[in-house]
Amino acid sequence: MNEQQHGDHPASNESMQVSLFVTCLADLFRPAVAFASIKLLEQANCEVTVPPSQTCCGQPAYNSGDYEATVPLARKVIEILEPADYVVVPSGSCAGMICQHYPRLLEGEWRDRALQLASKTFELTTFLTQIAKIQPLSEQSTELPTITYHDACAGLRELNIKEQPRQLLQELCGVAVKELDQSDVCCGFGGTFCAKMPEISGKMVGDKLDNALATGAKILTGGDLGCLLNLAGRAQRQGEDLEIRHIAELLCGDLDTPPIGQSGQR
Amino acid sequence: MSESARSEIFAKLRTASRGGSAEAIDRERQCLQSAPAPMPPATEVCEAFLINVLKNRGSIDCAAGRGETVKAVAQYLYQYFRSHRLVAGNDPRLAAMPWRDAGVLPRFGGIETGEPVALSFAHLAVAETGAIVTYTGKANPAANNLLPEHQIVLVDRNDLVATQEQAWTRINQDMEKRGRPRGINFIAGPSSTADIEGQLVYGAHGPSSWHIILLGDTPADILARAHSAVT
Amino acid sequence: MEQRSNTFLDNASEALKNTGQAKRRDSMARLTPLLRSAAIEDAGDFESLRQQMKQVRQHSLDNLAHYLTQFEQEAVHNGNRMHFARDAEELNSIVLDICQQHDARRVVKGKSMVTEETGLNSFLQRAGLDVMETDLGEYIIQQAVETPSHIVTPALHKSAEEVRELFKDKHDLGPRALEDTTDMVAEARQVLREHFLKAEVGIIGANALIAENGYSMLVTNEGNGDLCANLPKTLIVCTTIDRILPRAEDATAMLRLLARSATGQSQTAYTSFYSGPSRDGDVDGPQETHIVLLDNARSEMLTGDYREMLECIRCGACLNHCPIFASVGGHAYGWVYPGPMGSVLTPLLTSLEQSNALPNACTSCGRCAEVCPADIPLPDLLRDLRHEETLEKLSPSRWRLGLKLHAWVSQQPWLYRALTATIIPLLHLMGRRRGSFTRLPFASGWTNERNFPAPQKKTFMQLYKAGMKKPNE
Repeated sequence: MNEQQHGDHPASNESMQVSLFVTCLADLFRPAVAFASIKLLEQANCEVTVPPSQTCCGQPAYNSGDYEATVPLARKVIEILEPADYVVVPSGSCAGMICQHYPRLLEGEWRDRALQLASKTFELTTFLTQIAKIQPLSEQSTELPTITYHDACAGLRELNIKEQPRQLLQELCGVAVKELDQSDVCCGFGGTFCAKMPEISGKMVGDKLDNALATGAKILTGGDLGCLLNLAGRAQRQGEDLEIRHIAELLCGDLDTPPIGQSGQR
Repeated sequence: MSESARSEIFAKLRTASRGGSAEAIDRERQCLQSAPAPMPPATEVCEAFLINVLKNRGSIDCAAGRGETVKAVAQYLYQYFRSHRLVAGNDPRLAAMPWRDAGVLPRFGGIETGEPVALSFAHLAVAETGAIVTYTGKANPAANNLLPEHQIVLVDRNDLVATQEQAWTRINQDMEKRGRPRGINFIAGPSSTADIEGQLVYGAHGPSSWHIILLGDTPADILARAHSAVT
Repeated sequence: MEQRSNTFLDNASEALKNTGQAKRRDSMARLTPLLRSAAIEDAGDFESLRQQMKQVRQHSLDNLAHYLTQFEQEAVHNGNRMHFARDAEELNSIVLDICQQHDARRVVKGKSMVTEETGLNSFLQRAGLDVMETDLGEYIIQQAVETPSHIVTPALHKSAEEVRELFKDKHDLGPRALEDTTDMVAEARQVLREHFLKAEVGIIGANALIAENGYSMLVTNEGNGDLCANLPKTLIVCTTIDRILPRAEDATAMLRLLARSATGQSQTAYTSFYSGPSRDGDVDGPQETHIVLLDNARSEMLTGDYREMLECIRCGACLNHCPIFASVGGHAYGWVYPGPMGSVLTPLLTSLEQSNALPNACTSCGRCAEVCPADIPLPDLLRDLRHEETLEKLSPSRWRLGLKLHAWVSQQPWLYRALTATIIPLLHLMGRRRGSFTRLPFASGWTNERNFPAPQKKTFMQLYKAGMKKPNE
């Protein structure tokens, strides 16, 4: 499963140098996620830089089977990120791409470099619970309504992300997740799958949304924007009264930003 | 045609196989890790076996000696059939039982149409799986396991082993002594199917009831303990 | 069997419209993972067990020529006649020859996916034989003239009501009402018992072949396979060349995982090992036994990139845990093997050209690999098949070129920034009022089923470069 090595970490008073890999979906559709990530990392005593030439990790081509198109992009990402002490990614699937799939895709020297990068690359909630160990702010942050959590598949199964977000919601926001039934089943996003097989994807996202609504929660959150865009789009289509937000936004108490797919002008 | 198919397939497989002497291959096989057996539901092997029989939806009884054994069989027959008849394989151990003392009328041989109850004597039994093992042959016609509505199986507690690996050690020893039986049947419960809407129904083709009587010295409260472990 | 894998999307669409079946699939998709996980917990150390099985299977496949030679010798020594078939047609004609040599008219069959693969039933029936499937699920679909929808429970798509109607139609029921499933099972039992007693030939599959002693292993719950193996005078075991295990003990890990993974039982009711024809002094058993070993692309798989697929033990856990299988059911896959294992096997056993939709029926969610008792990395194999699909240019060019372009633009940060800094604010303006789009050109796949969330004002990189700390500043 997660082969990340949790090596030596600096003493708690020294700040850690972290490069944020924003992910293309956060960059394009939800800058709030990246801003929240920076805020959380700073709260965890990290010095955050955003390597300016980053774009996309290459999942769309890779998962569609175009390995030839993915290889140069993966190398580029490695070159951009490898000078960092730590790389933090607010997405389980993009972190999984770097940690699990780059070493599978690349060969020779590049594979070694991929493994090296994988050993210091972390998904956001894992980093905040296991490496930088964020502490709650002294003043109580925004009061949160009931929350349910969608475990995105790549994070759950490639990186063992299950307890980390729940622990952070408890420690930083004082809320317990209201668990949704069938929580380990895919929401039907699957990258290009949702556009290639829309009818099946629609059935899956409909089921996931039903399970989320059945919890009675006001907010559905998760760690992967792909799933959240899918779920938010479906919720909007069905006219459901459910706010969908990325976990990073909730953890830093940002409820001002309109939920994903909503205008805030209602 | 078949001969050319054979040589063509083997030629392909030889190219694909790693090669090496039979000894080297065997040495490599010896080095493979072992498969851990599941934790037994009770430390005592008889109890673990009976619990697993119950989990397999069999029913259980115990009998210390031969007199008690025939009585236990008679009781079962009477309870379900108000009858004393059954069919049993030509197993000398079964033939030697004092059936008349309990009024049981066994017919020895292969099962015939309309006979609802068959009795077998297990060759061995496996606590891990709650399975009984029989070898096909005169003592155990395969049809006697498969065609009756009810199967009663006697298991001598001395023939009880803990794990599947131990069962194979015994079976391999038997094969060395007496050659390979045509069939080795591990039976773990009544015949069942869930092919219609996933609903479990017993008696698909074989027995709908499967009754195990464990012979030999066992703790007095073992049946109660086994039942309480399953409920 | 006629293949309809490439109309997967249409098949799926049709399946989704059948609400009765969809509802039953949903409830099975909830139930079967619960049954499995309880049973696996009870097994103790799942990871050690599957690693052991993987080692045994890899070792057996590494040395397949050796072990198959050994199996053949032992099986012949046990009195079997051995046959080898390169492909489906050869297996079918070998079996027909054997039946004809015995002037057999009636054949009973245990469940065998291999003979589904070769289309044996219809082949024998065309030659005038009366072939009866005896596994209840197989019997039901044979009567209904359908194909299996699941490799373990082939008639799971049918409701009890449909089975009742089917039996009313096909059987002479008289006053029997067949009120519940117990009645229907009893009905099938009675009808099939006659067939067992009359059949001249029994055909079964095998879950494993034991090299050291020439036994074949058969695992069932109903006992029908054992009746096929014991009652008719001639027995034919049909399986594939890759099913070999070195020794009987090596089946132990497989047995500890197979039923637990398949049905959530700790083991099936019947686990049988058969060595050959009736011995001197035996009171029953077949007089003549044949073993037919099919290759049908397995030897190619052995040297290819998808070799791990040969380690599959056909438990069906990947089907039961696949949300796509749960959504559309087995028939949508259009051939013999459905679900994740079928989406790998079908292109390998038929051709990628005939089935390139199947490897795309996957979200890479990884649930199949997580539960696979053989530890087969199914999502990786499916992605590799999509790689071949790309190389062979089988996927729509719109997709292929679009993804290539995206990957290329992503390697030119300045271009990427310029494009996204133009498009994103525009999209934001267009979607600002509602927050999401109900229709978008070039994204109908997405917007058919859900709205497309509008982006925030600008890209993060634009905002960050401008020194902003929040998207709304």
